Amino acid sequence: MAFDWLHLAHQTVFGAVAAAGFGVLFNFGLRSLLWCAAAGALALGVRTLGLDLGWSLEAASFVAAVAASLSANALRRPLGPRGNAVALAGCIPMVPGAFFGQAILGALAVTTPHPENAAVILTAIEYLLRVVFTVAAIGAGLAIPAHLLKHRDF
Amino acid sequence: MPLMTDDPIRLKHRELEKIALCALHLARILVECGARVRVVHQGASLVARGLGVEPIGLRTGYASQEITVRSGANTITRMMTIGPHGVNHRLDHAMRALAARVAKGGMTASEVEAEIDRLVKTTPRHPLWLVAVAVGLACAAFGRLLGTDWLAFGPVFAGGALGQGLRMFLLRRGVNAYVVAAAIAFAAAAIAGTAARLVDSATVNLAMMASILLLVPGVPATNAQTDIIDGYPSMGSSRAVTVVMVMVFATCGVWLAEALLGVG
Repeated sequence: MAFDWLHLAHQTVFGAVAAAGFGVLFNFGLRSLLWCAAAGALALGVRTLGLDLGWSLEAASFVAAVAASLSANALRRPLGPRGNAVALAGCIPMVPGAFFGQAILGALAVTTPHPENAAVILTAIEYLLRVVFTVAAIGAGLAIPAHLLKHRDF
Repeated sequence: MPLMTDDPIRLKHRELEKIALCALHLARILVECGARVRVVHQGASLVARGLGVEPIGLRTGYASQEITVRSGANTITRMMTIGPHGVNHRLDHAMRALAARVAKGGMTASEVEAEIDRLVKTTPRHPLWLVAVAVGLACAAFGRLLGTDWLAFGPVFAGGALGQGLRMFLLRRGVNAYVVAAAIAFAAAAIAGTAARLVDSATVNLAMMASILLLVPGVPATNAQTDIIDGYPSMGSSRAVTVVMVMVFATCGVWLAEALLGVG
């Protein structure tokens, strides 16, 4: 199976930019921003590989979040207790905010007096379920390794 | 009435009150910085123990929190309201470091209070222009991840950056956070949509959606789950409800912008 390496590089780079951008909003220090970018690149890279392998968005997002969380735990020496926060910042670009918006817009279309067809309803429900499951997958992917590895730094 | 101050129980209660309020103060800052409930309770407990009392009960809700501390046979319960929730990583970690320092002993409640106030005032924040530019770039990157074309990159950047600038302006004036979400979504989507149309982008709709992604409450969304996993379902569900509310208001803003521009 041939991977689209250019697409992978594209997603990785923009995952890093998005994570670092949100890191600034979350007031991470300058050095931590580099870690946020690395976590974002890793998460988007893993998710893109998963999607290219034919996984669902939810499964790929879960594995990507697990990878970010495990990496943050493996790098506890340089990262210290901020590891979990860095992993979380790296996963922010995977939060399906656009799907959430589309789901609500779709729901608005469903409630019009005469929705065009059943596809409108199905699309709205599909987007909504996708948002719920993807956010749940990211949260679970971040939390499970942290709980299993029992690093309870404060 | 000098006898009043010599009353050992009254004096002990006053000391306990100071310590309880001190622990709550640190806990409040942690919540306002976006920390999970487990971390908040850990921080408050470290402060209480470091100041020589035993925390026997802690409750953190979305808008207020309570602590009960004990010293010998004396207990006291105090409550404190919580301000607007946000995310501030550096202040969060400064508070955690302070709690760890207090836990080692040797500080008084007054010294801890003074240190909390000092950290709130002096912990650095990125300049507003940098935050706006970074958020604009993040939105544009989000747009590329969603599939916007290159022509839409600049418009999404402009919408996101100006939206973030407007958000900081409105929040500092005390405007309701949900109203701000709707206003920012409308402004950012209208700017991005108009500019994307001007440059003949083929992904105007996606560009409008990408420009409001600065509003997506990703940290509260994941913290909501973590709080529930950690055994704090009331705070977790409160956070989840606020996430839904922000997105509903933000979507109303986008919907208005789409209606205005005739994009659907």
